[in-house]
Amino acid sequence: MLAYILRRVFQSALVLLVVGLVAFSMFRFVGDPVDNMLGQERTQADIERLRDTLGLDDPFPVQYWNFLGNAVQGNFGVSYRQGRPVSEILIERAPATLELAAVSGVLALTFGIGLGVFTAIRRDGFAANAIMTLSLVGVSLPTFLIGILLIYLFSVELGWLPSFGRGEVVQFGGWSTGFLTESGLKALILPSITLGLYQMTLIMRLVRSEMLEVLRTDYIRFARARGLSERAVNFRHALKNTMVPVITVTGLQLGSIIAFAIITETVFQWPGVGLLFINAIQFVDIPVMAAYLMLISVMFVGINLIVDLLYVMIDPRLRGDPAKGH
Amino acid sequence: MRRAWDSDLGWSFRHAPVAVVSLVVVTILVLAAVLAPLIAPHDPFDPATLNLMNGFSKPMEPNAFTGEVFWLGTDDQGRDVFSTILFGLRISLFVGFMAVAFAMLLGITLGLLAGYLGGWVDTIIMRVADVQLTFPAILVAMLIFGIAKGITPPEYRNEMAIWVLIFAIGLSDWVQFARVVRGATMVEKNRDYVAAARLIGRTPGAIMMRHILPNVLSPVLVIATISLALAIIAEATLSFLGIGAPPTQPSLGTLIRIGQGFLFSGEWWILLFPAVTLLALALSVNLLGDWLRDALNPRLR
Amino acid sequence: MKPHHIAAAFPLLFATAAQSAEFTWASTTDPQTMDPHAVNSTPVLGFLNNVYEGLVRRGKDMGLEPSLASRWEPMDGGAGWRFHLREGVRFHDGAEFTAEDVLFSWRRASSTDSDTASWFAPVADMRAPDPYTVEILTTAPNPIFPDSIANWMIMDSGWAAANGAETPAKDGETFATLNANGTGPFRLTERQPGLRSVLEPNTDWWEQADHNLTRATFTPIQNPATAVAALLSGDIDMINPVPIQDAARLEQSPGVRLIRGTETRVIMLGFDQSSEQLLSGDGANPFRDVRVRRAVAMAVNVSAILQTIMRGSAEPAAQLVPDGIRGHSALYAARPPFDPAAARALLGEAGYPDGFAFDLKCPNDRYLNDASVCQAVVSMLAQIGLTATLDAMPVRNYWPELRADNFDMYLLGWSPGTFDAEHPLRFLAHTPTDTLGTWNFGGYSNARIDALLPQIQSEIDETTRQAMLDETAKILQDEVAYVPLYVQPLLWGARDGVELTQRPDDFFMLRWVRVDD
Repeated sequence: MLAYILRRVFQSALVLLVVGLVAFSMFRFVGDPVDNMLGQERTQADIERLRDTLGLDDPFPVQYWNFLGNAVQGNFGVSYRQGRPVSEILIERAPATLELAAVSGVLALTFGIGLGVFTAIRRDGFAANAIMTLSLVGVSLPTFLIGILLIYLFSVELGWLPSFGRGEVVQFGGWSTGFLTESGLKALILPSITLGLYQMTLIMRLVRSEMLEVLRTDYIRFARARGLSERAVNFRHALKNTMVPVITVTGLQLGSIIAFAIITETVFQWPGVGLLFINAIQFVDIPVMAAYLMLISVMFVGINLIVDLLYVMIDPRLRGDPAKGH
Repeated sequence: MRRAWDSDLGWSFRHAPVAVVSLVVVTILVLAAVLAPLIAPHDPFDPATLNLMNGFSKPMEPNAFTGEVFWLGTDDQGRDVFSTILFGLRISLFVGFMAVAFAMLLGITLGLLAGYLGGWVDTIIMRVADVQLTFPAILVAMLIFGIAKGITPPEYRNEMAIWVLIFAIGLSDWVQFARVVRGATMVEKNRDYVAAARLIGRTPGAIMMRHILPNVLSPVLVIATISLALAIIAEATLSFLGIGAPPTQPSLGTLIRIGQGFLFSGEWWILLFPAVTLLALALSVNLLGDWLRDALNPRLR
Repeated sequence: MKPHHIAAAFPLLFATAAQSAEFTWASTTDPQTMDPHAVNSTPVLGFLNNVYEGLVRRGKDMGLEPSLASRWEPMDGGAGWRFHLREGVRFHDGAEFTAEDVLFSWRRASSTDSDTASWFAPVADMRAPDPYTVEILTTAPNPIFPDSIANWMIMDSGWAAANGAETPAKDGETFATLNANGTGPFRLTERQPGLRSVLEPNTDWWEQADHNLTRATFTPIQNPATAVAALLSGDIDMINPVPIQDAARLEQSPGVRLIRGTETRVIMLGFDQSSEQLLSGDGANPFRDVRVRRAVAMAVNVSAILQTIMRGSAEPAAQLVPDGIRGHSALYAARPPFDPAAARALLGEAGYPDGFAFDLKCPNDRYLNDASVCQAVVSMLAQIGLTATLDAMPVRNYWPELRADNFDMYLLGWSPGTFDAEHPLRFLAHTPTDTLGTWNFGGYSNARIDALLPQIQSEIDETTRQAMLDETAKILQDEVAYVPLYVQPLLWGARDGVELTQRPDDFFMLRWVRVDD
């Protein structure tokens, strides 16, 4: 078991190195940061001096090595755009993204499971079919368009909800939260719906199909035959059996929530790391881009590792087959 | 054809009105895209035919300056929205189909290899798959696009954009295929008939192609359908981030991105019609995929 | 962590505060630093002009006004300029403003780490005969020097020294990156880069304040559609810019209004005039032939662009500077006529009766509707047989491409930082050298222009100077060095009840803002 964990951790570290290398090799193609750092009255000499200061003319392996060396010490350099340490900026921005992701995750799980169970039990009912079809509408439009349409409807036309930002936030040490003010809570509604819609549909469909299968098993038939109420059968027995795949998929989907947060944050001007990343691309802020991508991959690889290890713990038979997927 | 109609699948299809409607919609849209050069009243990709003064014509109303009438109006460049949608649909479908084909090819090959050979080949492939699965498609696409843009000479950039999209979307989608195929392969390879085939000297390649592959086709088909819808939406999402088809040769996604800029200004048709087309396409494909999944799942019948 | 959210933690307290004149505004770009000498860009200088002040400043009509200098005069023999400083002015931290701060700010703003060093290129030395007089010596007589330092902001030498911010930093952080200590009408009380920046009135300001604000909050909103939504839904009091297409909607919507003006930025097409061949390598470079350049100028229907893409919000341009800028030439204010037939004839004369194909580079996030304008240009040129391949890209890729000569034709916008016609001559028309013609990507070169530039720079007599500027305007037009298209509009949106002043340099000055409730 220990050997297996070590092997997996080692593999993950290797993966991180490769991701970092690929990401880093991209930066030279994103654009040239010096144009954003110098005004219109700059001379060629200014450009060259700045490129030299930033080490942009160093050979690529040297740049990557320097970056890695600093990164393992937690030093991601200084943002070209803001002139401040990248780690400080990321810590400032992280709560916004994490709160948004958490709320949309909860929304997706609550509605996804609820509707999934409903559509499975009333498999051929009109309401269930309508929900199934409608849920597909949500995933048949790009996220950014859904966000913009929500803003148009709820902010501009109806004036119910704020059109951008986080509202007022309260500071607790290094953590800023929007959960404690009315405007903060209101501001969460539209972005979290936008972000959670896709996951909700996914979870709902997964729960439904797992439920349908479980409901046909002998185990459930037996439970019914024992005279248990429909409610008890559905929730206590059937739903419980669908939870393992749902949790797995939700775990894996965390990554895509964070990624799609880029789009949602851009549309709603949500001040999280996704927006920071888009800004960084716009201004060729290489240190911020590098740190963001590294953090994201650490997180993704970490989630993957945990999911795998959990599998192994739950089901020892898998130990001989570590790469077993779902 | 006749046999397909009479098969179980055909029976299930005839009794699923949603599936029938979806198929009709998809067929119409695909035909419209394929025949676009023949049926579109204008060629939106030929700049010489555009008249800027036709810009912002309302649907079905004569333009204030030129008097020309456009069914679905025109955009800011004076392009006929209807024609632009047809040509945009062509690009979106092309990107979608090619991306899925690429993902299928890659996923099935790697899945078969991993499942059949096992050992370190399996470990490597599935480790890469793990990373790929967690690394979001849009980030992958942004990375690839950035690199491709840097190394392509300017005169090929517009053509390049389409292929990069296909590559990027396909690359982020192969894992599902690989996982399904691998799982099925691992089950099948221990069956007696495979052992028998091996005994009579069939090569592993032949065994994979002739015996194992046919057994995994139906889940692959389901995944492919859903992936097609996802790929078309992914293309639209990427174009919002400025990655994708150039504005002179817009895809549906690019049209929507352009159109959303006119949402508040009252030129609703520039956004609405491409968005509805995209919705109709993706929704129909999704519904078909849904039906297919249920229909091909023997345990649900 | 710096932000103070005490008000937010006590909603009741906040509610009472809201009754005073609070103001929020949004723009697409966050000022990247609070250091007035680190970055020379409109977002930074515009924002900081509310906090810091220079010796001189610009009024509502862009005219020069006394600011920290109460008056100034040229020194004998054109040796330089003498500025008499205002007495009794205090920085926000209470320190007194003296000549020492001016000298310090000169050293700081002209150091190699500063982005504003070029303003001081003509300065030979600066000295302070007494604490309220500063003499700036120039290398040659320099009639427009006061105009060129309106954005040179004065920082307190003691504050900078105490906080280790003696030099600006481009690739690092100093205390002045996040904090500000000026003499201006507003103090910076909160700064969260990319999120919000809060200003509060400086009650000790040397001038009677025109505004009635008690607090002003700036939020960057990148997506223009989101910004419009925020204004329409009342979340924000003012936005800059309003997307051109949304201007009409704002004009019609109750509760909001549109403030329309023109910027000083001229949008133009430039040509590669130095390469022997086109980018594709197929054949000799046609743009070296003035007839081809003129054909392009005559083929572009500027009024159609203005009517549709710019929706009637912009003015046509015929020179590198718009009307109203000092030195604009009234004699050469007409654009070449739109005449595709004549353009075709010119192409035939030049030996290209069937046209040719070339590469057109264009930014897609730099100027208002830039990519749309380029697209329209492509289709207009197609009508005279020229096949342009449009390569539109974000500005982060654009300038490197232009610097690397990867273009046949390109789009450029230029705003004269000094509000004088000399400015674009120096950057766009002079033959490229290390320090001159630094934005002349196409390599246009004319010996007469090169000879006139230094004379224009040091000519004191207005009439003689204007004659020389007229001559340069004529040369540039005759040779079609550039094809000026139009002057970029300024479109701001504000809710009703907000009084403000729009200045052509796109600076939003809070000291002229009044809020009615």
